[in-house]
Amino acid sequence: MVERRLGILLTAVVLTGLPAGKLVAADAPRPPSHVRAEDRGWDGGDAVDVIVGISPDDKPDTDPPGVAHYVVRWSGEYGGVYEHAETVVADKNAYRSGEVRLTFEQLELGEPYFFRVRAVGPDGSESLHVETAREAAVRPVAQAFSGRRAWLVLITLIICGSVVYFILMARRGKPLQIRKIAGLEAVDEAVGRATEMGRPCLFVPGILDMNEIQTIAGLTVLSRVAQVAAEYGAHIEVPTSKSLVMTTASETVESAFLAAGRPESFNEDDVYYVTDEQFGYVAYLSGMMVREKPAACFYMGAFFAESLILAETGNSIGAIQVAGTAMPSQLPFFVAACDYTLIGEEFFAASAYLSGDPDQLGSLKGQDVGKVIVAVLVIVGCLLDTLNSMTSIEFFETATTFLRDTILKSG
Amino acid sequence: MADSSSTPAVHTPVDLDRINVILATDCGSTTTKAILIEKVDGEYRQTFRGEAPTTVEEPAADVTMGVVNSVTEVGELAGRRLIDDDGQVIRPATETEGCDLYISTSSAGGGLQMMVAGVVREMTAASAKRAALGAGAIVMDTIATNDKRLPHEQIQRIRELRPDMILISGGTDGGTTTHVVQIAELVAPAKPQPRFGGEYRMPVIFAGNVDAREPIEATFDESVELSLVDNLRPTMERENLGPARDMIHDLFLEHVMAHAPGYDKLMSWTNAPIMPTPGAVGNILQQIATQRNVNAVGVDIGGATTDVFSVFDGTFNRTVSANLGMSYSISNVCAEATLPRILRWVPFEMDERELRNRVKNKMIRPTTIPQTLESLLFEQAVAREALRLAYVQHKEFATTLKGVQQQRTIGDTFSQEIGGQTIVDNMALDLLVASGGVLSHAPRMQQTAAMLVDAFQPEGITTLAKDSIFMMPHLGVLAQVHAEAAVQVFERDCLIYLGTCVAPKGAGKPGKTCFGFQVSGTSIDTTGEISVGELRLLPLADGETAEATIEPARNFDIGAGAGKTVTRTVRGGTVGLLLDGRGRPLDLPEDRTACRQAVTDWSNALGLADLARLN
Repeated sequence: MVERRLGILLTAVVLTGLPAGKLVAADAPRPPSHVRAEDRGWDGGDAVDVIVGISPDDKPDTDPPGVAHYVVRWSGEYGGVYEHAETVVADKNAYRSGEVRLTFEQLELGEPYFFRVRAVGPDGSESLHVETAREAAVRPVAQAFSGRRAWLVLITLIICGSVVYFILMARRGKPLQIRKIAGLEAVDEAVGRATEMGRPCLFVPGILDMNEIQTIAGLTVLSRVAQVAAEYGAHIEVPTSKSLVMTTASETVESAFLAAGRPESFNEDDVYYVTDEQFGYVAYLSGMMVREKPAACFYMGAFFAESLILAETGNSIGAIQVAGTAMPSQLPFFVAACDYTLIGEEFFAASAYLSGDPDQLGSLKGQDVGKVIVAVLVIVGCLLDTLNSMTSIEFFETATTFLRDTILKSG
Repeated sequence: MADSSSTPAVHTPVDLDRINVILATDCGSTTTKAILIEKVDGEYRQTFRGEAPTTVEEPAADVTMGVVNSVTEVGELAGRRLIDDDGQVIRPATETEGCDLYISTSSAGGGLQMMVAGVVREMTAASAKRAALGAGAIVMDTIATNDKRLPHEQIQRIRELRPDMILISGGTDGGTTTHVVQIAELVAPAKPQPRFGGEYRMPVIFAGNVDAREPIEATFDESVELSLVDNLRPTMERENLGPARDMIHDLFLEHVMAHAPGYDKLMSWTNAPIMPTPGAVGNILQQIATQRNVNAVGVDIGGATTDVFSVFDGTFNRTVSANLGMSYSISNVCAEATLPRILRWVPFEMDERELRNRVKNKMIRPTTIPQTLESLLFEQAVAREALRLAYVQHKEFATTLKGVQQQRTIGDTFSQEIGGQTIVDNMALDLLVASGGVLSHAPRMQQTAAMLVDAFQPEGITTLAKDSIFMMPHLGVLAQVHAEAAVQVFERDCLIYLGTCVAPKGAGKPGKTCFGFQVSGTSIDTTGEISVGELRLLPLADGETAEATIEPARNFDIGAGAGKTVTRTVRGGTVGLLLDGRGRPLDLPEDRTACRQAVTDWSNALGLADLARLN
């Protein structure tokens, strides 16, 4: 008796929601079981989640289906004009859980939102609607942290934590294993050759100015080369194409000679400015190399078309040549014509590698952890997407979507 | 002033076809050893051996007395009178007395001790060190521009040392003169004093930049005997050690030996120049390696030092590990290797305290020999580590030349090797020769083989041998006079072949297959499999050979590449054919109990010792 009264009451409530002048077809599906709206947590206050209980007529294996899709409408005022917002079809997950979930984004912070949902049959007939009640208006609320960026936080914590961890380890004296970089190991060998042969060492810090990170990395290597040259009593020449680079290089070489305990051997005329013009600079260097025949040539910095000219000239005079650049287009030339080449990241790691400073070594190791994470994500993503396209296994699709939309887009 | 054409002491030329009896002596620091080589059935064979205490020190102070004593012993054993009433070696040989050829080596009084100098430590200074070591010298110190010492410290060091001679190199021909002269200017004012008093002028050899000869001559005064030879490094790409080595030998005879007690007399007796003992050992090893076209490594482990010789692709190298030995230097071995690493090889329970006590006892009583099985196993454990460390040092020294221009292709982008890589390649090693007390006098031949294999970790297929009575020095100097006789005696009497070691390179899980084998010969025809971590000994007698086909597992390499089958003729020996599935590099279990069990299993597999007696 009680159930019957409740049924009558529910029918009355539903009927009051029907739009004026719209009748329900006799073969229309039964309406969704319920609808509710919730503010999405851990966001900036611009999204709500709407959960629709599927219609009793919506069965997964019926043909034709009892429900073709659901139509969601929304309004900013209860009982006001409800506009079409979304059309949604129940999927396997919805049948399993009995609910369809939708998310509405780019909403107004703090404004009320009301929703109505109808089930639509295969012939287009619509059921009665169910709606969110007046007192159940949902308002997007902003939180302090965005949950969508949780993965970014996690990855950042891992990388930063690794950097801090390795720095602390290095400071405590734990030896950090860094693979040998042939080009940097060969500095002693190249300067030694120049010493034995009684010829100078030539250092070219690229053709860009001090605002280029490669020039700065090159000058770090110059410090090491100059120190070895000072220890060996070898002569080093540093022609530059930018005046600011000349000043910095001069300071670097002077400091290196001082550190080696041979400040009296430093000659400021060995670091000099040639010209800003790219090919004028290269022409000078080529001529100087052919005339003075340096036994060790170092090319460390940003290079363009002149890379092969310099490297070939150096090769022809029998010099040991060590190059370092992050210009991908010039690397093949250096690799083919030079004895040793620092490739991209190796070049930037030179500072930590040469100094052995715990802070620099620790951060180098920590950054490696970040690179490993990126490499793993790329490999896993490629594998998942490949398997997803080759098979129809739902797991791969879900995992690919999660990786792409949740993890990678969290940044 | 001497130059590269200066002649050594003149020795009587001999007709090689008429040589039937050869007498050779080696004057060591404590013992003078004499051997007799006779032509038997058309072939030279070592027939008798005798020894007597060396008499270079007071009260005798005449090395020839020890020589006469040892030769007399040989003569008595052979029934041949070798020394006449005047105390001279009788020559030529007749039916009952004398010999046709007398030769000698010497390491008495500490051998030849040298100081070397060069411009860059890793380049010309390293070449100078190689030349000195190759000539049989002990290098006391290496002075270089970049040796991290200030000039006054370098001068102080030169003054403290009392070398027999100094070798200066530096600069390529046409290269630096400034640095070379700077080095000479360190040596000249230091006025180094020779070891054997001030009776002769310090021999200084200059083997550097030819352009620097004039200023070098001007730098030194008459207090040194300056000799000029061809540059050790005429170019950075080429090393030319021959002229410097020859000059070291000449000066060794003219100056060092001539001033040592009794050596002037001994030199007048010999038919060939006296060689430093290690130089002679290196010489015979080079001869054998060249003649057989093999790569060879020889080791001589003594009480204070360990010498390692190697010939790879015709390049000879020698190192002296001055602080690695079995008695005087045993504490240093323990300090360098650390006690836990030595304990790895001990197959019974021994704590570090006990090990330390044994080490100190051996150091303060260096001439004692093991009286119990425990002592023997302990000594052999230390020997393994001493040999391993000496070989590591040798690998670091025997390298390709540094400062050489490289030729690259685009394929080298990610594999740029730097210069100065070691030329010692265990996979290419064909012959491993052992000598020295702990190896030569091991009660069982298997123990010698095991020590060699554990310490040197040969890869692929390697023949193992030992010098029967430390005859290699005699044969080394004989090779300079009569190469055929030297090689014949080396083959038949000098080397005792222990067998062949088959050891693939790689690692795997214990118990999994390491390699399969098929061995067929006159006395053996067997097939089987060796698991990872397993050692097995197959009998293959001395003088026998067999065809061995080795099929390594996918991740193991026997010389032809990972997983590729190799068929080779293997040589038997007093130990046999040793099949080693422990992988390379050889890793012992970290856990002490597991490690002891593994070592016990290997010991039982090879029959190294009756370990049941210890329990």
